[in-house]
Amino acid sequence: MEKTYLDCLAAFGIGGAHPGGLQLTKKMLANEMFDENMVVLDAGCGTGQTAAYLANEFNCQVLAVDLNPLMVEKATERLVNLQKDISVEVADVQSLSYEDGSIDVILSESVISFTNPTICIPEMTRVLKNKGRLIAIEMVLEQALSVEERKEITDFYGMDQIWSVNEWMMAFLTAGLTIQSIEVPELKNDNEDTETSTDFSLSETIDETFHDILSRHLVLTENYKDQLGVRIFKCIK
Amino acid sequence: MAKENMYQMCNRHRGKAVVIRTKDGKEHRGIIQHVDNRQVYLQPMNGGRNLGGFGYGYGGYGYRGRGFGLGIALGAIATLALVPFFFW
Repeated sequence: MEKTYLDCLAAFGIGGAHPGGLQLTKKMLANEMFDENMVVLDAGCGTGQTAAYLANEFNCQVLAVDLNPLMVEKATERLVNLQKDISVEVADVQSLSYEDGSIDVILSESVISFTNPTICIPEMTRVLKNKGRLIAIEMVLEQALSVEERKEITDFYGMDQIWSVNEWMMAFLTAGLTIQSIEVPELKNDNEDTETSTDFSLSETIDETFHDILSRHLVLTENYKDQLGVRIFKCIK
Repeated sequence: MAKENMYQMCNRHRGKAVVIRTKDGKEHRGIIQHVDNRQVYLQPMNGGRNLGGFGYGYGGYGYRGRGFGLGIALGAIATLALVPFFFW
């Protein structure tokens, strides 16, 4: 099977694989009041960095799911010893097994962007409680791309679409959510701070292809830094 | 820089992507996998340098695969810095 960008993130075991990393996650959740009675779903948990942070910081019940089995394996390794109320499993966020109206907060840290959002957002809305909230850090289109440019990006990342802020807003509203805020995050890259720098949980052997995918990612990031941006969307059901 | 300090620094940065410059002027980029009292072991990454990070390019160091990767003597290290990353 052809290896993808997401397989590459899993092989390198990249923690906080979303814009801003764990540092932005912490900042984004700084004013949240999650308590031990709340159920928080980390949709697309990756290596479980955010799930661990949620459980340690707020003592809330954490559900962590990811489509990639290797990510779930690495997340389980990280989370198993925490002795917190966390469940980790392989699941597709476009088709969740939870009951309607059963979750207080869903976090999507650059996850919906990699799904079909017109399926994913309604599904997330379904499992949210009334007044439950969706907090999503996602890629947005800042400037027009040519057809070829768009194809280069979506093919590489395995995405179906690159949406403008307006397109995201339409999708949230169509799913029946109310948009509370849309924020442009400040993305700092502090190379001095080991706390905030990217954390790798490497697989024992890393296929040559993954080095090439990582390199290609860095080139695309640089080439399209003006066209691709990031927003934090906070929505309520 | 004292050897103990470099050991501690490498240990603290375990699992992080770093660029190490050795006293002979060479540059090594990779992820710190293991440290002992003599060497730090890097999982090397593609060595292109055009992006200031892990640039586009093939080749690398030829040490990929099993084990602890490329060993660098702690005493040979001149500088060590973390490499910034951005992921979607």
